[in-house]
Amino acid sequence: MSTLSRNQIRTMMSQVLETQGKTIPTSDAALLSEIGFRSLDFSELALRVEDELGSELNFDAPGLRAIETVGDVLEFLEKLQST
Amino acid sequence: MTRHPEEKGTALPPGAGNRIVAGGFRGTWADVSRAALPVVAAALVEDQLTAAGAAWEHAVSLRETLIVGAGRVSEDQAQELRDDGFALVRGEKIEPASHPRAAEAGRLWLLTSGSTGRPKRVGHTLQSLTTVAADQPPRRWLCPYSPGTYAWWQVVTLSLAHPGQDVIFVEAAQLDNWPELALAEGVTAASGTPTFWRQALWHSAETVAKLPLEQITLGGEPVDQVILDRLTTLFPSARVSWIYASSEAGASIAVHDGRAGFPASWLDRDVPGRPQLTVVDGELLIDSAWSANGFEGPLRTGDRAEIIDGRVYITGRIASDEINVGGSKASASAVRAVLLAHPAVMWAQVRGRRAPIVGNIVAADLVLEVPVSPQELTSWCSERLPDYSVPRRLRILDEIPIKETLKSDV
Repeated sequence: MSTLSRNQIRTMMSQVLETQGKTIPTSDAALLSEIGFRSLDFSELALRVEDELGSELNFDAPGLRAIETVGDVLEFLEKLQST
Repeated sequence: MTRHPEEKGTALPPGAGNRIVAGGFRGTWADVSRAALPVVAAALVEDQLTAAGAAWEHAVSLRETLIVGAGRVSEDQAQELRDDGFALVRGEKIEPASHPRAAEAGRLWLLTSGSTGRPKRVGHTLQSLTTVAADQPPRRWLCPYSPGTYAWWQVVTLSLAHPGQDVIFVEAAQLDNWPELALAEGVTAASGTPTFWRQALWHSAETVAKLPLEQITLGGEPVDQVILDRLTTLFPSARVSWIYASSEAGASIAVHDGRAGFPASWLDRDVPGRPQLTVVDGELLIDSAWSANGFEGPLRTGDRAEIIDGRVYITGRIASDEINVGGSKASASAVRAVLLAHPAVMWAQVRGRRAPIVGNIVAADLVLEVPVSPQELTSWCSERLPDYSVPRRLRILDEIPIKETLKSDV
């Protein structure tokens, strides 16, 4: 199965935000709460990743609660592809 | 509730001289070759002319009949019919019933579309299917419906019961090009689902606009104001009606004022000859003299009814309308209404899609009349819907998907 790079996932995250008239910060340390990236946005991003991969991700993996920054999102989805 | 009159026997129907066109056939009902049907028969038909022949045979002789498009019946269902005493008629071929029995004279069976599960048999008579009683102005009707469905019978019984009501049947293979057929045949009245009309306007708006339509009827799906407005604008002198009907409840609501929904004053009233309509816990209940055998009394329709500003709107199936998004309840029909209200959107289908974290998100398939960006559509929805109801996945289709039933399960 092919996987998406961190940059590709970042582009998708940017698209999710752009649809709502928001811009993704350049810094991976930016807090999700500050840019208004919510659980619905995360779900949408996950579906975009799944659609691109053509397969479902396994969200039973631990670590979801620790996601607070843009970097956390990218890292989580990056890792999830390999579980 | 008074039931419809009993069957009268085998007198020639008043509309016997009406003209019908089906496939290569042109003639009157009385000219149609009568089908060689056993007295208890299920006619599994491949085309409209065969179906019309079976309907005519039923109308002029005492028998028990089921007419259905052959493609709608599985082999298991065919065997069930034989076990229930029906001879199966497929073209020239007749398979006898496993357990032959006497006919329940006059009984007409319909197979429901099965949108709520496995198709089931619903019992009617020609009288219970003949819901138009008043004299009608002469018209040439287009009948695009699949043979044997309730809507098909509505057009057929109208033609059989009233002189001056001709029928142009549309074969399945002609559905994409029906406006050309209708134009060539001088159709002045047409009945179809909202999806059917949207597809016609999408494909052949110029040809549709040339039709000399005096009567336009919509039914079979929730009827929204957008499609009514498009049709009334295109045909300002036509009567545009929408009908609420089902195989079980019969034709129960007819609205002719060009508006979606019906007046709330029609609820809970007792008018002789009119169905009683009630809304209980958001569901439409109907008690009608035109209901199917065994479905008398208040019938739970399974359709959601919302009362807004003195108007009752039937928005869709209750069972499939609710989408649980992280504990919040989004309404697929409400989202669809917002999307359809966008000037660029010709057709929309809304559903829940499984998603991590929130369980489901709202997703929509769209057919656009003119190009528009996802951002614009999202913004449009965000201004009119709560966050959790805004579609998160938008898929643009090239064509309006339509089934044999002329519906698209919206």
